[in-house]
Amino acid sequence: MTVKINYEKCGNISNCPGEGLCIKLCEQGALIDEGGNLKVVDENCDDCDLCIANCPNQAISKG
Amino acid sequence: MTSVLREGKETRKITHTNDECVGCGICSDICPTSALNLGPILPIARGILEMDYINMNHDKCVLCGLCSFACPFDAIDFEINGENAKKIENYPKWNCGTEITKDDCIYCGKCEIYCPRDAIAMKRNLPNVEDLVMGETRTEVDKCINCRICVEMCPAEAITIKTESEKTTKKFTAKDIEIDKSKCMYCKICQKVCPEDAIKIICTSCMDIEQIPEVTIDGALVLDEEICVNCGWCEKICPTEAAHTKKPFEGEVILNENEEEDLICKGDSCHACQDVCPCNAITIVDNKSFVNQEVCVLCGACAKACPQKILNVNRTVMNLDNIKSASWQKILGSIID
Repeated sequence: MTVKINYEKCGNISNCPGEGLCIKLCEQGALIDEGGNLKVVDENCDDCDLCIANCPNQAISKG
Repeated sequence: MTSVLREGKETRKITHTNDECVGCGICSDICPTSALNLGPILPIARGILEMDYINMNHDKCVLCGLCSFACPFDAIDFEINGENAKKIENYPKWNCGTEITKDDCIYCGKCEIYCPRDAIAMKRNLPNVEDLVMGETRTEVDKCINCRICVEMCPAEAITIKTESEKTTKKFTAKDIEIDKSKCMYCKICQKVCPEDAIKIICTSCMDIEQIPEVTIDGALVLDEEICVNCGWCEKICPTEAAHTKKPFEGEVILNENEEEDLICKGDSCHACQDVCPCNAITIVDNKSFVNQEVCVLCGACAKACPQKILNVNRTVMNLDNIKSASWQKILGSIID
């Protein structure tokens, strides 16, 4: 199982109050900045849920 | 530092000092008007976000002061007509603290190293090593062939051989053998290894023992009580039992995994609990969160930061006395199980 992004809530990294907080928190490299958009790298996700717990927009959930 | 101030029949002021706050969220949990919000403690603790742990909503706060008495770390001040309410007789008092007894302290400095809050500052005066050994050194530079074996072998690195170039032979010869008396232990290794008997060492430390002063190590130690969280690391590590801590709570933190619901500690991948712990009480052992109960203050920051919500803080005793009002007893009593 990996995480799912609600892109409507997420609204690109440039609009994130945490300036891409999830990317900075994820030490597994499972969340990356791809041209200003958030992308999940499924194979790197360890299901630690740190991104889910800390997303300021509540845009991340279990896939 | 943020404050709420209101003037009326009484002038009341609540001030939150972030430097003394650990981000445990006890204040926001008990605030009757939900005027205090705990910020994102993990990004703050990791230095990703720069903001205070606690956000105070000025419009919601009724300046009751409960938060200031609930905080075990004295991070919230409460003033009534300019007076610190914690000093007022009828208000609750925390019965916890840390003391380092000067008479028992040997100024080893261990507590300063282990204190997770950098609340201890220590200064000490050590004797000069050269005052504690005695002896004589004699060198005959004419015999020295500048082989430098003594320099290499000296365990104290006390020997320097100065050389000069001889005009006729163009060879470097020894001009002087210097033995640094502040480093020499009179161990005689140089004398033993010198192939030309150019060095003589006489150790008189045993003979002159009466003249060698007794060792006294004095110093000064300061404990910053405002920053100290009473975790007890100093008490645990002190070799002379000079440090004594009374913690704010008794109880334990338990890791409560549930495999069926896939609530498993992710250990090294996550380590949120370790990062927010103000006491360095948490380590990741075998890829699982491990809480050193001896130095845990049961603040609960780890449980708040855990994304799986599998750390349970079970507080059984709260050392907060003198809670007189029944409603305050109920609210403050909710901090413990």
